[in-house]
Amino acid sequence: MTTHELAYTQLEGFAIYYGRDAEEEIVRLQEAISRHAHIEKQFPSRWLAIKLLEGDRDIEMHLKVLQGGADVLAAAEKSVVHLEKIYGEDIDVVIADHRYGWINGLVREVVKRTSHDRLTTSDKIDRVVTNRLLGIPIFLVGMWVVFKLTTDVSAPYLDWVGGVIGGPITNWVVGILDALGLGGTWVESLFVDGIIAGVGGVLVFVPVMMFLYLALAVLEDSGYMARAAFVMDRLMHALGLHGKSFLPMLVGFGCTVPALYATRTLENEKDRILTGLLVPFMSCGARLPVYVLFAAIFFPENAGSVVFGLYMLGILTAIILGIILKNTIFKGKEQSIFVMELPPYRLPTLRGIWFHMWERTSAFVRKAWTIIMATSVILWVFMAIPVKGSGSFAEIDVNDSAFATANEAIAPVLAPLGFDSWEASSALVTGFVAKEVVVSTMAQVYAVEEPEEEAEATTFFEDVGEIITSFISATGDTIKSLPLIAGINLFEEEGEAEPTSLMQAVQNSFEASSGGHGTLASLAFMVFILIYTPCMVAIAAERQELGAKWMWVSIIGQLALAWLMAFVVFQGGILLDLG
Amino acid sequence: MLNQVLQEIRSTQSVLNLGDLSRKLGIERSALDGMIQFWVRKGHLIDDDAAENQSGAVCPTGSCGASCRGTSNCAFITKMPKTYSISPGDIE
Repeated sequence: MTTHELAYTQLEGFAIYYGRDAEEEIVRLQEAISRHAHIEKQFPSRWLAIKLLEGDRDIEMHLKVLQGGADVLAAAEKSVVHLEKIYGEDIDVVIADHRYGWINGLVREVVKRTSHDRLTTSDKIDRVVTNRLLGIPIFLVGMWVVFKLTTDVSAPYLDWVGGVIGGPITNWVVGILDALGLGGTWVESLFVDGIIAGVGGVLVFVPVMMFLYLALAVLEDSGYMARAAFVMDRLMHALGLHGKSFLPMLVGFGCTVPALYATRTLENEKDRILTGLLVPFMSCGARLPVYVLFAAIFFPENAGSVVFGLYMLGILTAIILGIILKNTIFKGKEQSIFVMELPPYRLPTLRGIWFHMWERTSAFVRKAWTIIMATSVILWVFMAIPVKGSGSFAEIDVNDSAFATANEAIAPVLAPLGFDSWEASSALVTGFVAKEVVVSTMAQVYAVEEPEEEAEATTFFEDVGEIITSFISATGDTIKSLPLIAGINLFEEEGEAEPTSLMQAVQNSFEASSGGHGTLASLAFMVFILIYTPCMVAIAAERQELGAKWMWVSIIGQLALAWLMAFVVFQGGILLDLG
Repeated sequence: MLNQVLQEIRSTQSVLNLGDLSRKLGIERSALDGMIQFWVRKGHLIDDDAAENQSGAVCPTGSCGASCRGTSNCAFITKMPKTYSISPGDIE
């Protein structure tokens, strides 16, 4: 029996065997340690010897200041050099390898697994959900259900919020201004036509956002979103794109800005820039109100499917453009090798879902009160300045305003796309600030006047009572809406919902500007919204992450592509007699 | 065993998930997590989350109007799975 084997067998309890050569060096080091009783007294000699072979910095620092420590360290260094010559790799890898081998062997000896144990529930679900053939269709069906739920089920609450903002809240504001002697002045116009129309126009869509965030929270908390990323990443890799590209893109469904930062996980600069250029094509939450508004006007029966189609078009555009760019400007053979940690499936908790939904919805509302309110006020000012006609400040036909005149100059560029009205072009211009502003701009520029109803004057408490009653009614309708996902309509006997004045105005405008092809023009408009620059903050993030040159490439490229795709949709649709 | 893990990751042609790797190599999942961390410490694998956090990504405006608390705390961020990449120098 050799020295190291003798030493090993003499150990009490359990000890991991690190191989003949390593054990010899451990024994040699133990001998060196035993020459210094005070060191041996502080540390078990075998443990210390192994730590020194592994190159533990803390232990080395500790030994340096001890008497005789330098001798032990010198012996350890000699042993490490000797072992690395034998093994041809770092000695800490050899030690860790033996350790894991021992653990694995022990587990196999003592843990008996039945075939039932070997596959957890998560594993069984993953066999289907991340299957090479089924993974993508399951992801698509999942997303379709999300948008169907978002658009169909939220509709009653959408009407309720619209009713509350357009009714009691507007009445209260007008009442307060009247009491202050400001009724009928430009101040009332600023509040009603500017702030309430603009901010309220976006706040109407809060229920839509809540249902979207609810669905996403369920997908995230259950662990499915990680699988979706895994499945899509595999597809991206198969298409020759960087496998890790889809992670930032998925983040982009929430907001483009953090998605641009998520590209930092890509090591290669070319891949990082390419992914950064593709991320804005993912539909962020801010675009949803525009889709919902237009889908409700022009595709009332298939609103959910249209919204789903737009989200998918964004992914498809990013993939196709990615393949083209990867094989031209960003040509390279860099490999993307990585492993993903898929969390086990969990049943989402109500608290967790509520937290995510609330956090995101409240962030959306805060955004409405800051950026959208500021934009609405600025817009109102430009809409109040007369440049034509005989009106005075705030007392003019909106078509004679500075804002209308400026946007009329841009409108002809959009004529081939079917929406060359100054109202549509102004919504696209303000959409550069943030996509939520598109709807608020429309609510303002279409100068919607709700038809006067001969309603009796109500008291504050009657209004509050009406708000509560209509909320309960909306909740009932929402519950009745749930079967809509499965195609069962419980509302049939009640007939179609009446379009709001804004919806009617948008429809008339698009029908007029497109020569009667309003549906195609609206589709082209939504495609334009999907493809062109997401918002100012995203532009700033692009500048920071990709540099000024690529920021401009991105802005100009997105605008050109948006125009081209909207052109194909509108003109192609007319050519094929689709609408 | 440790080298086998690294070798398997290097030789993969697509994205790999840790569960599949654990089953393929017959290594307990908890032990595999430890092995991955070992290679991260050795610099052969990169913990992408840590790399992103270290890069100090901060929203350019500091606020998009939604009371932004920095990129990692952005309310709109979708939770993504943890990933580990092979360090560029290790790609065969």
